[in-house]
Amino acid sequence: MSTIEIGLWVTGGLMVMVVLGMRVAFAAGLAGLLGLVWVFWSKRSYDPEMLGWAVGVAVKTAGQVPHSKVSSQALSLIPTFILIGYLAYYAGLTRALFEAAKRWVAWVPGGLAVSTVFATAGFAAVSGASVATAAVFARIGIPEMLKVGYDKRFAAGVVAAGGTLASLIPPSAILVIYAIIVEQDVGKLLLAGFLPGVFSAFVYAALIIGLALTIKGFGPPVTGFTWRQRFAALPPALPIVAVVVIIIFFVYNPFGDAWGTPTEGGAVGAFIVFVMALIHGMRLRELKDALIETAKLSIMIFTIIWGVLIYVRFLGFADLPSAFADWITSLHYSPMLILVCILLAYAVLGMFMDAIGMLLLTLPVVYPAVMALNGGEMVSAADSTFGMSGPMCAVWFGILVVKMAEFCLITPPIGLNCFVVAGVRPDLSVQDVFRGVMPFFIADAVTIALLVSFPAIVLWLPSLA
Amino acid sequence: TEWNVSVWGKRRAFTEHIHKLAELVEEKTDGEFTMNISYGGLSNNRENLDGISIGAFEMAQFCAGYHPDKNRAITVLELPFLGVSNLDEEVAVSHAVYEHPAVAEEMAGWNAMLVMTSPMPQYNIVGTGDPRATLDSFDGMRVRATGGLGEAFAAVGAVPTSMTASEVYQAMESGVIDTAAFAQHAHLSFGTINEADWWTANLNPGTVNCPVVANIDAYEALSDAEKEAFDSSVPEAIDHYLANYGELLDRWDSVLEEKGVEKVMISDEELAEFKSVADPIHDQWIEDMGAQGLPARELYDLVNDTLDEQRASN
Amino acid sequence: MAGQSAVLEDGSTLSRMDRGLEHLERLLAFLSGLGAFALMFLAVISVGGRTFFNQPLPGYVDWIETAMPLIAILGISYVQRQGGHIRMDIVVGKLKGRALWAAEWITTFGILVLIAALVWGSWAHFQRSFDMGAPLWSRDSTIDLGLPIWPAKLIVPVAFSVMCLRLVLQLWGYGRALVLGLEAPVAVPLVQSAAEQAAAEAEQMQGHEQ
Ligand code: NA
Ligand code: NA
Repeated sequence: MSTIEIGLWVTGGLMVMVVLGMRVAFAAGLAGLLGLVWVFWSKRSYDPEMLGWAVGVAVKTAGQVPHSKVSSQALSLIPTFILIGYLAYYAGLTRALFEAAKRWVAWVPGGLAVSTVFATAGFAAVSGASVATAAVFARIGIPEMLKVGYDKRFAAGVVAAGGTLASLIPPSAILVIYAIIVEQDVGKLLLAGFLPGVFSAFVYAALIIGLALTIKGFGPPVTGFTWRQRFAALPPALPIVAVVVIIIFFVYNPFGDAWGTPTEGGAVGAFIVFVMALIHGMRLRELKDALIETAKLSIMIFTIIWGVLIYVRFLGFADLPSAFADWITSLHYSPMLILVCILLAYAVLGMFMDAIGMLLLTLPVVYPAVMALNGGEMVSAADSTFGMSGPMCAVWFGILVVKMAEFCLITPPIGLNCFVVAGVRPDLSVQDVFRGVMPFFIADAVTIALLVSFPAIVLWLPSLA
Repeated sequence: TEWNVSVWGKRRAFTEHIHKLAELVEEKTDGEFTMNISYGGLSNNRENLDGISIGAFEMAQFCAGYHPDKNRAITVLELPFLGVSNLDEEVAVSHAVYEHPAVAEEMAGWNAMLVMTSPMPQYNIVGTGDPRATLDSFDGMRVRATGGLGEAFAAVGAVPTSMTASEVYQAMESGVIDTAAFAQHAHLSFGTINEADWWTANLNPGTVNCPVVANIDAYEALSDAEKEAFDSSVPEAIDHYLANYGELLDRWDSVLEEKGVEKVMISDEELAEFKSVADPIHDQWIEDMGAQGLPARELYDLVNDTLDEQRASN
Repeated sequence: MAGQSAVLEDGSTLSRMDRGLEHLERLLAFLSGLGAFALMFLAVISVGGRTFFNQPLPGYVDWIETAMPLIAILGISYVQRQGGHIRMDIVVGKLKGRALWAAEWITTFGILVLIAALVWGSWAHFQRSFDMGAPLWSRDSTIDLGLPIWPAKLIVPVAFSVMCLRLVLQLWGYGRALVLGLEAPVAVPLVQSAAEQAAAEAEQMQGHEQ
């Protein structure tokens, strides 16, 4: 049996373990470990005397991965971004944002829903995780919308969809993970996420306004705020702007030298939010809770990372990624059709999997194939299939894949954001939220189609940097 | 026989000798002995020695400066201002050191045997802003340089700043660092040359040493014909590497011109002063390594003697 | 997102051991969180030093790399205790009674096999970097400062050993439930429907709101 066949068998076994409910990180790690044993033993022609040797080499090879793969400066962004999110609650940033958005934009048709979308977009600029964003705004946004007569299912849908913006608008843990898997510049990717994130917010807003104009009794505009009230709402929300500006200036300063690396930007942002939380009256006990929660979420993510990377190490020994890339490039379909098929495959996979696990699992195989499709990692824009250089294609594909992964957070049957929103509101079932979020599928499909057709939306900012 | 070979990054001048070796070995054994070269699929670049020691793969490349404590003996080749001035000298010096019993013994601790070096030219610096041609101008300069090189720059008041190679371009663009020390091919592949205003043509502060090693058991398990094919191909592979890198160096001047990068020449007095600052680093190395039971003085002298011999023979 | 567990407690030996181990696990998780907190200060010091004194923190990257295993791995057992490692519960969510406990026992056993192997593998990884005869016992060091790496590598087998204890306890808990046909056994994270899980998460968020 060739190593590639071994790779396919083990991958099948991994799928079975995941479906049977083994925790994803460990299923991947176990599949990788057993796969390594298999590959090493096959190198010794399955000699029974060499089985012990194969187990030893496999275990030692796998045993390097947890330490070696988490000891990365780039990955240190993940705990930092998570810490920012938890500290932001204590700093009172969420309510301040919603209030400001309400006073400024709620006068449009479907005003409060539009305000919620923009408030989540604003919070996304300090939060690196979609689920946390959805949970917070379910508490703040939904009651306000219900007060003025919105359909409660739709109100829940707005929040669930708005939460997904957190992973495109920097900072974003999932973009960092993508950058690390594919070894691309983290700063460029974070920068690239900004416009598509804002763009998604506007598509959501347009959808809401459209619905408000066509459906009678949808939800009235909220008017009557004086300019004085509007400006009064800004100062409490200003710290967000400060944090955003700092992170952006660290990554890319339009007026000259940037201030540092994205890693440093994230940490300085967290520090500012921490100081604000202190000013806002955070206690030591609350800080301790925030740290333990940060640790839990970080460890959960890192366990998936090293677990999946043990499996990926096995794939390396089985030589599967290059075989898949060869296969994809040998297909006689148009490259764009293949790309669209890959994105659709993500949509299907995303129904059943968590976003980070999905990326870690698939990218080591899919990414080289996409790069090969475009003409190679170092191809110039002129010689490429998609009309962009290798590094730019990596950025573009990254944003597309992350947008797909976010889309999956609101699709049934496992749309984590919808579960969270339903959890915050006992009067809503998960089915209600899924029903309410349905219109946003259309918005997301439109956004993805536009990002595929007009890569400039993604690539304009990073091309300046 | 099929060997897995673990390297990192992308195929570049730095890995050409490995591809050539694989090609030659396969040719000479009529396809009996093949090498499967993997870029990053089998190991992290800083754990290639670990992988060799485990027996996970049969051949690998690593750099001494990535983990000095794993390979103390060959760090002698990374001392600043050894006076190596071209790739031929680098090969001669490296291979002389590789053949020293103390070096072979340390590598045998990893179940590894040294096959050949990956000669790198001197790590001259590219910089942004006004050219720095004097030692005084190095004061306060933020430079990306690792290991012994970093120490040498620190000795003249510069501030060595650490980051991974892939972050260097952005750090330079953002002004986190002013200068970066690399070999020419790395200035090209990491894009630092695109940000640079100047390049020091003759500072020649030192370089890194990156050997290719094989797993001893795997080598011993080769048939006599395979061993012969392997051994006889090493010099050819190195020659191919040198020719290929030579072409890159020939292109270098035109690259500088095309990108508008100024060539900075540093005066002999300034160089001599820099070297004298670096001398204590050499003494320190001999003292430290000697204290750890290595024949440090012997290795250090071996480098200098080989260099003299090499020059005399030309 | 880390799911919230419902781990039941009573006066039995198993439950007492569960709570005893939880104290240790919570301490380790807190150390992980403290590491993340320290990372933030490290960056602030580095940026501040560079900007105001032209004196970046020497070996900034080395310190981060050394701290990462502490942050990312040390508290792993606490997350396992709380049932916080994500999984797909489409199938297990439908199971009840003995079938459920059998499924849980089998997948937990699979995790134990993996983690026990990794204790061995990560210990070997540590050993290769450790040498009683060398200065600072170091046979592997960071690039810039030459910090010994063995302490960071040692964190992994330590954290995984605690995890093994936790997994053995959970196997005991599931096994007991399987044999006795229990409805709601102690000392194991109980399957919650996704909605219940989200409710628990939301409740926890509310705790943070002021
Ligand atoms: Na975000
Ligand atoms: Na989904």
